[in-house]
Amino acid sequence: MAYLNLSGITKQFGETVVVQDFNLDIEKGEFVSFLGPSGCGKTTTLRMVAGFEIPSSGRIILDGADITEKAPNQRNVGMIFQAYALFPNMTVAQNIGFGLRIRKEPEAEIKQRVEEMVSLINLEKHADKYPFQLSGGQQQRVALARALANRPQVLLLDEPLSALDAKIRVSLRAEIRAIQKRLGITAIFVTHDQEEALSISDRVVVMYQGRADQIGTPFEIYNFPKTQFVANFVGSLNTAVAEVTDTAKGLLTMDGIQLVSADNMENLHTGDKVRIAIRPERLNFVSEGRKANIIDCKVENITFLGSVVRIQMTVGNAKFNMDTFNRPSLELPKIGDVQQVTCSREAVLILGSA
Amino acid sequence: MTRIRKIPFWSWLWFVLGAIYFILPLFATLEFSLSMERDKIGLLAYTKAFEDKGFIRTFTFSNILALATIIASIILFVPTAYWIRLRLPEARRLTEFITLLPFVVPAIILVFGLIRIYGSPLDVPFTNIELLQPLTNSRFGTNILIVAGYMVLAMPYMYRSVDTGMRTVDVRTLTEAAQSLGANWFTIIVRIILPNIRSALLSGSLLTFAIVVGEVILASFLGVDAFGPYLFLLGQHLAYQPAALSFLTFLLTWAAMGLIQLFTGGQSQTVGAH
Repeated sequence: MAYLNLSGITKQFGETVVVQDFNLDIEKGEFVSFLGPSGCGKTTTLRMVAGFEIPSSGRIILDGADITEKAPNQRNVGMIFQAYALFPNMTVAQNIGFGLRIRKEPEAEIKQRVEEMVSLINLEKHADKYPFQLSGGQQQRVALARALANRPQVLLLDEPLSALDAKIRVSLRAEIRAIQKRLGITAIFVTHDQEEALSISDRVVVMYQGRADQIGTPFEIYNFPKTQFVANFVGSLNTAVAEVTDTAKGLLTMDGIQLVSADNMENLHTGDKVRIAIRPERLNFVSEGRKANIIDCKVENITFLGSVVRIQMTVGNAKFNMDTFNRPSLELPKIGDVQQVTCSREAVLILGSA
Repeated sequence: MTRIRKIPFWSWLWFVLGAIYFILPLFATLEFSLSMERDKIGLLAYTKAFEDKGFIRTFTFSNILALATIIASIILFVPTAYWIRLRLPEARRLTEFITLLPFVVPAIILVFGLIRIYGSPLDVPFTNIELLQPLTNSRFGTNILIVAGYMVLAMPYMYRSVDTGMRTVDVRTLTEAAQSLGANWFTIIVRIILPNIRSALLSGSLLTFAIVVGEVILASFLGVDAFGPYLFLLGQHLAYQPAALSFLTFLLTWAAMGLIQLFTGGQSQTVGAH
C-alpha cells in the first residue's frame, strides 16, 4: 500500500459537495501538486489531510494508520500557509522550536535542531529577529523550517507562494523543491498556478469541480491532457471544432482544412463533430515539402513575451495563437499577411465530441 | 481659503468649550481641596485623608477587587471571544448585544437582581435540598458576587478590547499553524493568543481598573467595604478630604488612560461603545 492513501474522499458543506470521490496514492518522498481553479476542492482536500476538516466519507491512511478522524494536533503533518502564519510574538528561533517545545523535547536537542533548520533555510543571521522584521520570502522560509523541525510524515503546502512577488516566487519554489528532495519528505502542494505545479512536482493532480480530472506527471498532464478542462487549464491552447472523415487514418476536416491526428479515434465515427486542440508552440510556419496539416491563416497581431513571440492569427472562424522562440534571426510576418502554418500529427489532440 | 480657516476656528471653539466643561469642575475640586486651611494653599486635606485608616483599607480592598475582576474577566472573555471568532461567527451579533447591556441596564437593577437571586438559598427545583447557601450571608460569597457584578459592568470595555485585539491577528491561521505543530487549545490560548493581544488586554484591564476603583452602587448595596462607598460616606460629613480623594481618583483614571496610550502606541484598541 502507498505511503499516503486517500480513498473515496467526499466532503460536503451542507448541500454543497466540495470534494467528490477523490482517490489518490502518494509514495514516500513524492512531491504531488493539487492544481485547479479556486473552488475546485484542492484546499479542502489538503485540509482533510491536515485534519482541519473531516471527510464526509472515505478514508485517509498514512503509513498504515487510519488518520481520517484524528485531531490535527495528533497527526504528524507539517503545514505551510499562504499567509505564513508565523507567531508574531516569537522570534525566528522560537517559532522554529515551538513544535519541539510542545513535544517537551530536551532543551539541548531543541537548540541543535533549531540551528540545523535555520542553516537549512540560510537565515542564520536572522534567528533572533521577529517575523515583522523579515521580508515575505524570509517569513515563508521560516514557516518551512518550523514545519520541518518536527520531522513531519507529510508536508502540506497551501498556496505558499501566492503572496510573494514573481522573482521570489520562482526562487523559493526551487528552494522548497531542493529541500524536499534533500530530506526525502513526502509533500502535497496546492496551487492554482499551472507553471508552479508543473515545475515543482513529481506528479500533478488537476482538480475540477471537486474531482481529480487527471493525475499524472507534469509531462503527461501537459502533453496528453485527457479532458478538455485539463487541456484548457494547463498551458494555453488553440481549440476548434472539426469533423471526422477517416477514423482509420486519423483524418479530420476543420473549415475545409484537412488535418491528421495521431490520437486514437476508435470510438469515433465518420461525420462526428469533435473538439480538437493544438498547443501554440507546436505550430510552425510551413517549410517546403510538407504535405500534411497545412493550415491557412491570417496574421492579426504579434506580441513579444520575452523569450517567446506570440503570433495571433485567424484560421477560418477560429482564433489561433502560435508561439515561437524569440531569437535575433527570427523573421516575423507582417500583420495582415496570409501565411500557412503546420504541425505534426501528434500535436493535433482530440478532446472529445463537440 | 477662508473656508479652510473657518473649520479649524469652529473646531477649536467647540474643543475649548468642551474642555472648559470638563476641566472647570475638576479645577474647582482641586482648588477646594487645597484650601482646607484658611487663607492658605496647602495639602492638609490630602494628609488628613491619607492618615485615615479607612482610606488605606478600602482603597487596598478596591484594588484587590479590581485585580480579581481583571483576572476573572480575562479567563472568561478571552476564550469566549476566541471561540466565537473561530467557530461561532454567527454568535457575534448576540454577544455584541450582550456586551452592550450594561449601558442599558443600570447598575442598581443589576445589584438588586444579584441580591434577589443569591440572597436566598439555591434549592434543587421542587425540593428542599439546598445546593448553595445564600452568597450574601458570608463575606467571601459577597466578594464573589461583587466581582461577578464588576465583570458585568466592565464587560463592554473588556470584551470589546479583547475582540478588537483579536481582529488584528489572524486568529484562525495562527490556530491552525499551532495545531499542526501539536499544540492543544490551552497552549494555543496561553502561548499564541494572549501574547498577541497584549496591548488590547492592557487597555481593557486599565479601563476595568478605573471602573472598579470608583464604583459606588454595587459596593454599597452589597455592603462591601470598598473605596467608592467610603468616599461617598466621607462626603456626607466632611468637606475637604472627599474633594482631595475625588481629585486623586481622577488622576488615577487619567494615569490609566495615559498608560493605555503609552502601551498601545497611541492607537488605543478599545472601541468605545458610546
